[in-house]
Amino acid sequence: MKSKTDFPNINQKKAEGMSPDGVPFRVLVVDDSMFVTKQITQILNSEGFEVVATACDGGEGVEKYKELYPNLDLVTMDITMPKMDGVTALEKIIEFDADAKVIMISALGKQDLVKKSLLLGAKNYIVKPLDRKKVLERLLMALK
Amino acid sequence: MRVEYINPFVEAAFKIIGQVIDQDATRGKLYLKSVSQPVLGVAVIVGLAGDVEGRVLFDMSEETALAVASAMNGEKLTQMNQLVKETIMELANMITASAVTKLQDLGFSFDLTPPAIFTGVDMEISNNGVEALIVPMEISQGKLEINVAIRERI
Repeated sequence: MKSKTDFPNINQKKAEGMSPDGVPFRVLVVDDSMFVTKQITQILNSEGFEVVATACDGGEGVEKYKELYPNLDLVTMDITMPKMDGVTALEKIIEFDADAKVIMISALGKQDLVKKSLLLGAKNYIVKPLDRKKVLERLLMALK
Repeated sequence: MRVEYINPFVEAAFKIIGQVIDQDATRGKLYLKSVSQPVLGVAVIVGLAGDVEGRVLFDMSEETALAVASAMNGEKLTQMNQLVKETIMELANMITASAVTKLQDLGFSFDLTPPAIFTGVDMEISNNGVEALIVPMEISQGKLEINVAIRERI
């Protein structure tokens, strides 16, 4: 009879969306597009992250950040959104928590917005279309 | 219409469509229209305002829109629901934003309006005094037309 130990573990790669002790990193996704939110959620779930909340505009994003704080590891923030844009929301989140890890996402590769976001305290910037590798790489870099 | 406004849209469309839908997309012959044109059934419009002004229209049949949205979502979508509409708007948004980034690098300054989507039959669009350049594209999901009408602000 074969015991479990007789089978090699062929899937040794650890999901990168988890801390060393196996707890998923908690993410807030702020984006006004249902399609983009779904895409980011799928990428993150596939790597073991947990999307704990989503928000459709900057104002809702700031509110949810405050509600979830400090049980939150990362925020992905769209730039162009109705009511409150992502750069303003970033500013408000950093005002509330200077250590917040916010990654900006936009279809526009505008240099001034990239610079402004980074100066305000964003940890990184992703230009759409979103590619799984690029998203995971930037998010994990921000967590280090 | 100056060619430097158009090329970034053509390049951006190829780049983005190649990345998110079909690597083998081909472009038909560009043509200019100054009168009304029919709209294929699902159309996303994005406005531009600044040093140049006008609009970009992304136009396709409902069948193509469903196939494109299915490809982008990685699942079969059969109804023109909110997810399909938001997916097509996001495609238009990515192409326009990529083109605008290039135009801004060339020194033009302008902003985009959020995309809006129209669906229906027997629609047409007219431009008052602005010529529209149509960029037809063939993708494996069907035909997609990018219709650009831009003029310099006087």
